[in-house]
Amino acid sequence: MTLATHAGKRPVERRGVFSKKLSGIIEPYLYVSPALVLILAVMLMPLVLGLSYAFRDIRILNPFSGGFVGTAHFETLMSDQAFLGALINTAWWTFGSLFFQFGLGLILALLLNRDFVGRRLIQALVFLPWAVPTFLSGLNWAWMFNPVVGPLPHWLTSLGLMAEPFNILSDPDLAMWGPIIANIWFGIPFFAITMLAALQSIPKELYEAASIDGATTRQQFISITLPFLAPTIAITLMLRTIWIANFADLIVVMTKGGPADSTQIVASYIFTQAFRRLDFGYASAIAAVLLVLLLAYALAVIGLRRAMTHADN
Amino acid sequence: MASIEIANARKSYGAVDVLHGINLNISDGEFIVLVGPSGCGKSTLLRMIAGLEDITSGDISIAGDVINDLQPKDRDIAMVFQSYALYPHMSVAENMSYALKLRKTAKDKIADAIGNVADILGLSALLERRPKALSGGQRQRVAMGRAIVRKPQAFLFDEPLSNLDARLREQMRTEIRKLHHRLGATSVYVTHDQIEAMTMADRIVAMHDGIIQQVGSPVEIYDRPANIFVASFIGSPAMNFLEGAYETTADNGDQGAGIRLSDGSLVPVLPAQGASTNQPVTLGARPEHITIVQDAANGLPARVDLIEPMGLSTLVHATLAGKPIKIFTMDRPDYAVDSFIHVAFDMEKVHVFDSSSELRLPPLTEPHTGHSD
Repeated sequence: MTLATHAGKRPVERRGVFSKKLSGIIEPYLYVSPALVLILAVMLMPLVLGLSYAFRDIRILNPFSGGFVGTAHFETLMSDQAFLGALINTAWWTFGSLFFQFGLGLILALLLNRDFVGRRLIQALVFLPWAVPTFLSGLNWAWMFNPVVGPLPHWLTSLGLMAEPFNILSDPDLAMWGPIIANIWFGIPFFAITMLAALQSIPKELYEAASIDGATTRQQFISITLPFLAPTIAITLMLRTIWIANFADLIVVMTKGGPADSTQIVASYIFTQAFRRLDFGYASAIAAVLLVLLLAYALAVIGLRRAMTHADN
Repeated sequence: MASIEIANARKSYGAVDVLHGINLNISDGEFIVLVGPSGCGKSTLLRMIAGLEDITSGDISIAGDVINDLQPKDRDIAMVFQSYALYPHMSVAENMSYALKLRKTAKDKIADAIGNVADILGLSALLERRPKALSGGQRQRVAMGRAIVRKPQAFLFDEPLSNLDARLREQMRTEIRKLHHRLGATSVYVTHDQIEAMTMADRIVAMHDGIIQQVGSPVEIYDRPANIFVASFIGSPAMNFLEGAYETTADNGDQGAGIRLSDGSLVPVLPAQGASTNQPVTLGARPEHITIVQDAANGLPARVDLIEPMGLSTLVHATLAGKPIKIFTMDRPDYAVDSFIHVAFDMEKVHVFDSSSELRLPPLTEPHTGHSD
């Protein structure tokens, strides 16, 4: 009797267990779903949409555009001299800015890591460029290079570096240095902040031990400071490379990519294609190429870092 | 190896004086322990010897040469830090060879030296490891190895065992001591742990408030502390102090003395040098110099507060003349809390301190030694 009733109930019980198990599996996903939906909406959707534009003919002013064109944009791109020029300019812009931003930022961090009167005030002041909106910095620097309103050309002339005051932003050979200098000024605080934070995490006893071991200041820098900074240096250099390569604000404000495309970088070229020529399809194709290039760069750096840390262990 | 002389060394940070004229001679091969509470200036003194702190005034000499203005690297000393200060990105072998490499020592000589020291310290299997892959005790050993490998004039230790657990600390204490026997190196060891001081030192330098309170062998410091500070700092459980007034007694022509406690009871003591009747004095008695007596006539009444079994012995906390005292006994007493016992002081062993100067007034019978330094 009892056996029979038990046997009769079993399937019902089993179903209960199964649905309980199923809800147990689904439950955590339900909890994270709002975040997932948000991520999909604000990150994945625009990415997919943007990539799809690269294969379509989208020109804002042409009501008949919108058709699928396959890889036509990419084929045009291969022979687009302006794009190749922009690629070279991007490399120049990125590494020219990065080299000085990092070098000067590190020196500044080392100086700020010493004890001196008014250190806190100076530290606060040094980080000011970071707080200025980029288009304002761009406008200011453009004016500073302008001999009519700015002092820089006159100073350079007095120093004998310039024959007569002129605007370097209008000289195709020199124009790139304008935005690069503005970018260096703008980017030093980032490296100074991060390097200073890393420097302050180095235990003082290590320097004391090294000084007793017989290391000079230079040897201490090489065998203690640099190894301690290395992980921070690697990650900040990688991040900054990507940011600067994508960072067209200063160029758009100061030179608009000119004169004669001499300061056109890929990011500003995309801007020009999309918002001046209003060719969103072609601009998206360039953006896709830039995305692939930067992804490849990031993977290379991460791979290098992993190889280095493996060698470490 | 070399001797170290410290002559009238002072240290001030602005208006704050940290060390007030330190005089100390450390002989060749001696193991000196600087002991005192935090902030007594012992670490500052060690760092001045190392060259990590400026000397405000006075002289420090190593092997007869004044080294005040020499860089740390030119003083030929090695230091073991409390945090070990191992270079985290270098292997054990690299950590130990760093100083030799900087001196451009030949590679085969470096390898020999490292192999040797690694053998002594039992680090041979760990040479390729990074510090983060080592235990606390192993790191401590690497820090020692880094010091030994250079064969310096003197070793400086800055609380090297404070980051270890109790058992390991005990073990390393012995090892450092053995190592010192083996190498015979002049060593200056800073600690706040009086047990380390007692067990390791040839001579202890007890410091307080930037002044040397007493210099002497562990037994000397323990048995004849110069003042109340040294008496209270050295020894665990700590010495008991009871305030009272000095009295001379004449008994059958024998010159006697005692201390009248606040409750009127008299504790007999040996007549003390320079003590006069009714002078306020402090009686100092180590827990092991107080005995519990069965005969009420021979002891003073004390109320039991707490019984603390310590395995080897038992510590009885009691109240005598309104003051808490501790009594050390090898028995296993089972007194009830708040019951009364009777205690007697070992007249030969207790100390009399002048309450105002806090200096010890030695018994008339004790040969006058003065400062051994």
